Order: sequence, then C-alpha cells, then structure tokens
Amino acid sequence: MVFAHGFGCDQNMWRYVAPAFEDRFRTVLFDHVGAGASDLSAYEPTKYETLAGYADDVVELATAMGVKGGIFVGHSVSAMIGVLAWKKAPELFDRLVLICPSPRYVDDGDYVGGFTQAQIEELIDFLDSNYLGWSQAMAPAIMGNAERPEFGQELTNSFCRTDPEIAKRFARATFLSDNRADLVDVTARCLVIQCSDDIVAPREVGEYVHRTLRHSELVVLNASGHCPNLSAPEETVAAIKAFVGDD
Amino acid sequence: MTTDRDLPVPGPEADDLEDLFENAPCGYASALPNGRLSRVNRTLATWLGYSAADLVGRRFLDLLTVPGKIYYETHFAPLLRLQGAFKEVAFDLLRADGTKLPVLANAVLRRDETGEVRFIRVTVFDASDRRRYERELLDARRAADQAKDALQDLNLTLEARVAERALALDRAWRLSPDLLAVADAEGTLTAVNPAWTSLLGWPTADLVGRSFVAYTHPDDIAATRATLAQIRTAPLVIPFEYRLLHADGSYRRFAWTGAFEDGRIYATGRNTTAEHEQADALARAEEALRQSQKLEAVGQLTGGVAHDFNNLLTIIRSSVDFLRRPDLSADRRSRYMDAVSDTIDRATKLTSQLLAFARRQTLKPEVFDVGERLQGVADMLDTVTGARIRVVTELPHEPCFVKADVSQFETALVNMAVNARDAMAGEGTLTLRLTTATPLPPIRGHAAAAGPFAAISLTDTGSGIPPEQLARIFEPFFTTKEVGKGTGLGLSQVFGFTKQSGGDVEVHSVAGEGTTFTLYLPEIAPGPRQEPKPPRGDDAFPTGDGQWVLIVEDNVEVGRFATQILEDFGYRTTWAANAEEALETLGADGSGFDVVFSDVVMPGMGGIELAKLLQRRMPHLPVLLASGYSHVLAQDGLDGFELVHKPYSADQLGRLLAQIVQPRPRG
Repeated sequence: MVFAHGFGCDQNMWRYVAPAFEDRFRTVLFDHVGAGASDLSAYEPTKYETLAGYADDVVELATAMGVKGGIFVGHSVSAMIGVLAWKKAPELFDRLVLICPSPRYVDDGDYVGGFTQAQIEELIDFLDSNYLGWSQAMAPAIMGNAERPEFGQELTNSFCRTDPEIAKRFARATFLSDNRADLVDVTARCLVIQCSDDIVAPREVGEYVHRTLRHSELVVLNASGHCPNLSAPEETVAAIKAFVGDD
Repeated sequence: MTTDRDLPVPGPEADDLEDLFENAPCGYASALPNGRLSRVNRTLATWLGYSAADLVGRRFLDLLTVPGKIYYETHFAPLLRLQGAFKEVAFDLLRADGTKLPVLANAVLRRDETGEVRFIRVTVFDASDRRRYERELLDARRAADQAKDALQDLNLTLEARVAERALALDRAWRLSPDLLAVADAEGTLTAVNPAWTSLLGWPTADLVGRSFVAYTHPDDIAATRATLAQIRTAPLVIPFEYRLLHADGSYRRFAWTGAFEDGRIYATGRNTTAEHEQADALARAEEALRQSQKLEAVGQLTGGVAHDFNNLLTIIRSSVDFLRRPDLSADRRSRYMDAVSDTIDRATKLTSQLLAFARRQTLKPEVFDVGERLQGVADMLDTVTGARIRVVTELPHEPCFVKADVSQFETALVNMAVNARDAMAGEGTLTLRLTTATPLPPIRGHAAAAGPFAAISLTDTGSGIPPEQLARIFEPFFTTKEVGKGTGLGLSQVFGFTKQSGGDVEVHSVAGEGTTFTLYLPEIAPGPRQEPKPPRGDDAFPTGDGQWVLIVEDNVEVGRFATQILEDFGYRTTWAANAEEALETLGADGSGFDVVFSDVVMPGMGGIELAKLLQRRMPHLPVLLASGYSHVLAQDGLDGFELVHKPYSADQLGRLLAQIVQPRPRG
C-alpha cells in the first residue's frame, strides 16, 4: 500500500492514517522530490515540469519495492499522479484511493474546476513574488540565492518542509494541469474521497472524477477542508478500509 | 463594531485585560475547531473594516484571497494539525471594501485535557510597512540581479569582441605581406611576424632578442639609427627605406613606417626590392628609347652631313690641287689658301656640333641660355639642310634661361628641323625664333599658365600639315613618311621632352603656307654663371718672342707639325714623346722653359696628370693642353688648365700661347 502526499506537505501527513493499515499491508511512504527529506539535488526542472515526471518516480519506486497488484493512496495532486502512474504500469496497482482529487483546477466551459484562470495565475504570481507563505523565506530571497540557507533547517516548522523554488514549480505543474482525459481509460478500481467543504477540490470536481472513472466509488466525508487525513483521520481510515475490505 | 455594553460587567483588572485584548496593536481572533471565528478583537475588526460581530461565525479562510486560501489549505492547515501551531505566515487579508491588508499571522491550537481541540488562537500583525519594505528590497534585489546579468552579458560580449579582435589582429599579423616588428627603444626586436621568415629567410628565433642593426646594410646603419632616434619623438609617416640582410647573404630593400608607444617601436616594412628592380629596368628602357630617338635624329641628318662633308672635301681637294701648281700667282694662292682655311673651319664646327649632339648622357636637366643653344643648333642646321634652305634666327639680345636637358632640347630641335626640311622638299626658309617671358596659352584642353615661358618656334615654308593629321602627329609611331624613312618617334620625343620639362608644344599649320612648332619651356632666373672670357688677343697675327716651349706629343706627325708651327711663330721648341721624357727634360725646376704644351691622351702618364704634377713642382711654369677627345675631359675635368681643342688652327694655338706665356724680359 503506497501513500503519496500532496502539494504543500510531506509523508508526515499520513501519520494518523497509514498506521491503521500496517497490520494487513506493507505500507510504503515517501516524499516527492523537493519535499520533506528528499534529495533536492535530484530535482530536474524539465522532468518535473508536468505531473508525468512525478508519476515516473512512483512507478520507479513501486517497481523497486516489488509492488505488484498493490493499493495506491494519493492525496490531492498525488491522486492524479497515481492515475498517471497506473497508466504507465497498470500491473503495479489494482486499486487507487484518490483523496480530494482534481484533474483540472481551472474552470473550462461546463467543467467546474473551482478556480478561474486569473485566480490560478494570481496564485502563481504570489508564489513567484514570495508574498505568500513563510515570512522567514523572504530574507534569503532578498539576500540572494548564494546566502540562502536550507529552507527546512531555518524554519521553526519541523513538518511539511518544502524547498520554495521547487514548491513554486510544483504549484505550476499542479494547478495548470489538465488530466481529465487520463481518467477515461482507467480500469483499476478507484475510491474517490471527497470532503464536504473543500475549497481546493470542490464537490463538483469529486463528482466529475467519480463519473469519469469506470470503476469508482465516491465517499463524501463530513470533514471539511482539503486534508481529511489530518483533520478527520478516523473517518478517512474507515472509508479506505471499507474500500480495500476489512477482512 | 462591538460595544462594551455587550460584554459582561468587568472588574477593574478585567477592564484592563479587556482593553488590552481589544485595543492591542495587533489583531486577535479565536476560532472553533471547525475553523469558524468565535471572537475577534477591535483592532483586527477595524483593520478589516468590519464590526467584530460581523466577523464572528465566519471562517478565517474566508478572509484570505484565493491564492491565500489554497496556500492555507495545502500548507498551513496540515501544519497546524501536525505541530499545533504556525508562526509568521505572510497573507493578504481581504478588507470589507475589497482592498488587501498584508499581514503576518501566527496560530496555535488550544486543546483540553483529553487532547481535543478547544479553539484556535490567531494573532495578526499589520505587515503593510514590512511588505512594502520587502517589495522594495526585492525590487532592488532584482534590479541588482538584472544589472549583474546585464554586466555578465556585457562582459561576455566584450570578451567575445576582444577575442574576435585578437583573432583578427593575430590573422593580420600572420598573413601580412609586410614585415611587422615590435622593438624596444634601443631597436632590439621583441616580436616579428612570419613575413620576416618568408621575405628574409631568418627564423623568428634568430631575430627576436637581436638588434635590427645586425641585419642592416653597413652603409644604411647611420641613417637608420638617425631615423630610430626620430621615431621616438614623432611617428615615422614618410617611408624610410633601407636594406636588410637576407639569410642567403643578399640585401633586400624595405620602406619602413612606424611609431613609438609605451616604450616600444611598432614598425611596418614594405618590400620595395621589386619596385627598385622595376624602376631600374624602366630607367634603362627609357634611356634606350632616348638613345634610339637620338640615333633616329642622327640618322635623319646623316645623309645631309655626308653630302655637306663631300662638298667641303671637294673644296679642299680642289684648292690643294691648285696650290701645288708652281705657276700660281700670289693673289690666287692667297684666295685658295683662304678657301681651304674657311672650309676647314666649317667642317670643324660641324663635327664638333655633331659630336656634342650625339654624346651619350642620361636625362640631366641643367640651366642653359636658350638663345645661345638655339644659335648653335641653327649653325649646325644651316650646314646640313642644304644650300637651298635658308636658316634664319630671330633671337633677343638678352639671355634667356631655362632648366632642361640640353641634349634632349637639341634632339627636339633637330627632329622638328628634319620634319621642316622634308615638308619643304629641300627648298625654303626655316626660321628659328625665341620669344621670352610669354605666358603659356591653353593647348589641347590644358589650362593656360602665366609663366614666364620661353617660346622657341620653328617656322617652315613647306606644304603644311592636313588638319585631320594635326591631332595625331605627336602620337608615337605616327608617320607620313615612306617605310624606312622615319620611325614616327621624332615628334613624340618633342612632346615628351616639353611635357617632362614642365612645358608644352603647340603647332600651327596652314596648308600650302607652312607650319610653326612652338616649344614652351618655363623660364627661370639665371643661376650663377661664369663670366664670359674676354676676347683673346687682337686681330694681329700672334707671335712668340723666342720663348722656349716644351712640346709633349706621342704622335710623330702632330709633334713634327706643332714644332714647325711654333717655330714659325717665333718660339723655340723641345719635343718630348711622352710625359716621362718631358719630366726628365724639365729637370728639377724646369729652368729654361717658359711653357709646356702637352697632348692629353698619351700612353703612360696622361697630359692632365702631368699638368697637375708640374703645377705642384713648378707652379711658375704654365701648361697648355690639347685634346680632341672630350670624354676624358668630361670625366676628369680640366682642373683649371687651358685647353686647345683638336683640330686646332695655327691661329688658335698662337693666340692661346701668347695669352699664357710671359713675355721674355728684355735685355
């Protein structure tokens, strides 16, 4: 059972969920390149320009771990990364658990993504200008790259460390993506977990994903926000267990 | 706005705390576990333009901009759950009027004893000033980065340009056909280009570190050193030429220019060896052409000269035949003698003029009196053009000087005279006229010039030149004469000579009346000129007074004849067959002798050498030289000795001797 974290956090976000499955599954947790304790030098701007680069990593990692017919649990953007990974190597995973997924964040005609193009561009601009986020990151930005210390070490926050430069690019890859077409030919069994009040992945998006995937179940949690694995871990665990079978 | 009425009645301490909460310089808010605000202080409400009551029940998320919401949900909400707090997160909060308030937000989870979240406490600081400051710093940072990038680009561009330039310079250095050299102030070569090796055969290693003097022709070293000294004060612009040693031992000529900068000499040497060879070849060709033009003119004259000489010889022969008759009366004898004498005078003049004319010399401009020379040529022409052609001269009384090559001038006159003679078919008048101080008229499109010019014209009374031929007569090889009669070079020589001498030639012709050629030559002020010698002697027949003459003559005939003449004049004579014998005869002081009369060209010691020797040893003893061989004298000069030209007349010899020999003291 492979757990993949979403944009903005690292594998720590599974700390209330993954243990619930350790008795029955071999659980694999990892940090995407640029997040947590990953090797920042492994980051290649071209490879990670789109989500496909991250999907390649998942395939490589799962293959290396000997995963076969496993369960992929992906939160937020990693839900779509899991879909892409399955398409590259369907033998790795039989089932996909997609928590708060979104194949496209920008509205497009009848499709409701939750954001206008302008809003997403504003987000990208904000990230580019460092006006948003850790204020401590501003000093090294102003002082220049040469003097920039390791971001995670400088901050008082010990969780969800991200390299700000990589985070910006990850945001671009995430929020400008359109993977709706990739959902169509997924034949694996899928669980779509949707929060009741999620500003990042609104309910319409969850329903769209559920509709488009051939073999999917949709569970709408009572939990609000975008991170039910942290704000409502029991409810999340229960939904996953129901999907993977508790026997 | 919240009001104090809505709150529980506080005690004095509670009042204080309440006031602190509401009016602290930062915003406070409490949120329930579901994120909805339960309490907001006045400061925060005021900043955002709401009443505190309006904000209660809303989510903190609702106060954020869209990017803020996404960032909050993806980053800070998880963090708050994981570590229970976040600090100093930069957000923009939305005010009631839609404007944004930059803030720094802190949040902390408060839990009860069971670990359940009771509420979330949020602290908000107004970061407007800080954000502005940060933005300015970031802008400054970006400007600095851009400047750095621009500088880097500029450096790269400059480096590329410098590299390109260096490459071009290197190429020029390598490929230059000229010698390029860098030397220190003393002339020691510090760098030379490959042309040195290709043109002079020396490898670079042989040259660098050595002085250029080592490769300079010994005769050029002094001048080259002087130029080197000058170059240190002013760039060498006018090429200085000297010879450099080739590895094969020969010398090559190079014309150098250069400059002195930063203690070094930078010089360029152009190979002029080939130019010199070409110039020499050209000069030889020109000389050959002039010579052939002269020979052409001589050739044209030869017929007339031969004819004239025959006439003269006829007169002499006939006269001598009559003089041998014993029955000839004294009167008749005298007339024949005069005829022979006159005829010999004319023949002598003719040969001397022909020799002078034919003498070989390179083009050498000299100052001469045009009138005098014109008269000389006229005299010669008079003898050679035949009796039926009258030669008339019209010359001014005052001398008129030009600077030109005399030989070429005479050749030009002869060339024109030959054409005139042919045009007149052997009968008519040839007028040689000199007009001084005239301007140069416009000729064949060339501008006029004020001058003064000497105008020398030759006018014939011939058939004239047809107008259609007038334009072509100066062209080389244009001739109207039969094959073998003329080369067509005559008038082109005239044209070339006048142009070369800074003048021009004009031609006027009227069919049936005649043609006038006019040469214009720049007139110049007379240079220092030797005073004409005073007329020698008088009309009386010169005689000696018993003075002793030592005759030095290797030719027996001439020696015997000279002895006879001098004795007839009244001199006493001693004859020495050569210079050595003469010295022996003279002894230590030449006592007894009054004058030495010596031939110039003799086997052994020559006449001039003898004369010099005598001048040193016996300065009181005058020497008279005799020669017909002008080459020797032209080469060595006369050194002030008196000379009588062969063939000389008894009269000439007698007059000269009378001038230089002291009369014998009487008594």
